[in-house]
Amino acid sequence: MVLLFIVATLLPPPRDTQEITWLNDLYHSPLFYVLSALFSLNLIICSLNRLPAAIRQFNAPCFPPPPGIFENPETTHFILKEKGMTAGEAIIEKYASVQFSSLKKTKWEKGFLFCRERGKFSLFGVYIVHLSVLIIFAGALIGSVFGLEGSMNLREGETSSLIRLDKGRGVHQLPFSVRCDNFLVEFYDTGAPKTYRSDLSFFKNGALMQTAALLVNHPFTFEGVRFYQSSYGAADETKAVIAYTGAGKESGEITVNIGDTFALPARKAKATVLRVEENIMQLGPAVKLDIEAGKKNIQFWVFQNIEEINHANPGLFAEVPLFNPGLFSPLVFSLKRLESHYFTGLRVVRDPGVPFVLSGGILILAGLIIIFFTAHERIWLRLEKQPEGIKISVAGRASRNQAVMQRRLERLCQNLSKGLAT
Amino acid sequence: MTHTLILSYVTFIYFISFVFYLFKMILQKDIWGRLASFAAWLGFLAHTLAFILRWKASHDMGLGHAPLTNLYESLIFFAWSIAFLYLAVEWRIKNKSLGVFVVPVAFLLMAYASIAPGMNTRIEPLIPALQSNWLTTHVLTCFMGYAAFTVAFGCALLYLWKDKTQSKTAPAKSAFSQKLPALTMLDALIYQSAALGFVFLAIGIITGSVWAHYAWGSYWSWDPKETWSLITWLVYAILLHARYVRGWRGKRLAVLAIIGFACVLFTYLGVNFLPSLHSYI
Repeated sequence: MVLLFIVATLLPPPRDTQEITWLNDLYHSPLFYVLSALFSLNLIICSLNRLPAAIRQFNAPCFPPPPGIFENPETTHFILKEKGMTAGEAIIEKYASVQFSSLKKTKWEKGFLFCRERGKFSLFGVYIVHLSVLIIFAGALIGSVFGLEGSMNLREGETSSLIRLDKGRGVHQLPFSVRCDNFLVEFYDTGAPKTYRSDLSFFKNGALMQTAALLVNHPFTFEGVRFYQSSYGAADETKAVIAYTGAGKESGEITVNIGDTFALPARKAKATVLRVEENIMQLGPAVKLDIEAGKKNIQFWVFQNIEEINHANPGLFAEVPLFNPGLFSPLVFSLKRLESHYFTGLRVVRDPGVPFVLSGGILILAGLIIIFFTAHERIWLRLEKQPEGIKISVAGRASRNQAVMQRRLERLCQNLSKGLAT
Repeated sequence: MTHTLILSYVTFIYFISFVFYLFKMILQKDIWGRLASFAAWLGFLAHTLAFILRWKASHDMGLGHAPLTNLYESLIFFAWSIAFLYLAVEWRIKNKSLGVFVVPVAFLLMAYASIAPGMNTRIEPLIPALQSNWLTTHVLTCFMGYAAFTVAFGCALLYLWKDKTQSKTAPAKSAFSQKLPALTMLDALIYQSAALGFVFLAIGIITGSVWAHYAWGSYWSWDPKETWSLITWLVYAILLHARYVRGWRGKRLAVLAIIGFACVLFTYLGVNFLPSLHSYI
């Protein structure tokens, strides 16, 4: 019946979990919670059911030994003629203690009994594991009730205290604000990202509290809220930095977005940025301008690498006026550079359940090691007075891995027979 | 790229070893068993050497990460762990009949690593998410677990096979099934390897969980790989409980070990066909 319980409650969660790819968010569905609760309940009941037996075993005294243990066919007997009890005792104490310390001794009607017990704690390994599973469940529950999981995208220079909660649960306001001072991304030659990093500043009530560098695998905690570097991307628009020269004089740098319009010092003209391209026609970065002077509109491209392009294609401007940055004389435009801004994607998490889950994880390991690498072992030696001499019997019992115990007993018997021969 | 050359030899040696184990099974001559073991040991040592060389090559390239970072490297390491555990078991039980079921798994993994289309065998720099000290521990323990489950699977197959031949030829007693390890021993081996794998997988899941806590912001995100490793873990938990609580032995245990191994394979390979955070493996 116990197994029926185990199978009935163990199997459904995994079967459900496979469907995560098709069924959204099954892990937070009521069904899942109910199954987890049933499973925990089952775990508790089964453990409580078996616990008293384990406690009885734990408290079981060494003496008297379990009835019939010396009649077991695996029990080894030594019969020694013409030896007295004191000699027997001496041999047992000398040769058994080579292998085992802390041999307990007691009298019985025909002589002496010795017992050696170890690994009592192994009896509780299973309960430690079960308990830690429950602790992990509790931690997960605490996390999902009191925790916070969301994300925030910050452009360089942007400050925010709002996080988008996962699964469309709305927006949450943090009691402090975060600014992304700087975002940096490096690439390998293969094009794969090598490292990316955000420099963050944390503000509270307008005052700078702390700054931190955030990297993948290196989260940062501020006031109990953990920040993770999780992604990055290009911010919505790429800015172009352009300039123009007219009559030998160069204007200052002008930073523009698509759609921006700025006044020009000649013919009461206005320039509008139509397009900003990172790489157009394999000729590199360029912007397309529309210049309105009076009732005339002139459009042309301004390439960043104009000199190389011109060098490679002499006479280009005459053929394709659209590529001539000096089409609107007397001004000649130049594109200094494009400024692409990144946004940094942060995961923002507060999970008060983590300490529980962590201690559950550590406990589970401890429990598993106790279960599989220790065993409750008891070894008994019986010294018996017989009419013609004495008799020594050796027997043992282990909660698991009886084979190892048997080998230990064999060694004990070898020791003893060595001792008896002398 | 000496290591790739060595690895292709290793694949071949494992195959030879498997063929020798097969000869041993059919022809019943000890010499084949010894040759098979020798080949397996040779393959294993060369495999170890190749692993170290690849690690060194990565150092020489200025990257210096353990070769456990993509599907190719994980296949190589999986095969290595299987060879390692199998040889340890063979040495302990002093019986060579298990090899016929376990060594081919190592061979198939190696062969898959070298012939699968689109397999990336290059040593590549790590993406930021993988640049962590948890990488080696996590991968190492998981694959040790998988390898132990593979040994349990081999024992289970051998058990079922022996069980069948024994009952069929009960009066005559075929020569081979007599030379097989005793059923009780196989049963104990299934249990022991499953328990070993269970502990390793538990450590693997926990280290993965700690790592995820640092890298992804959550110790558990129900990623398909996480979910399936949990399913695998639970299947083996059922196996251990069935034995301990219900006293299941032999056939039923062997069937559970085979089901468990199917889960291992799905956790390892099948999950790659689902969208996953573990997409680098």
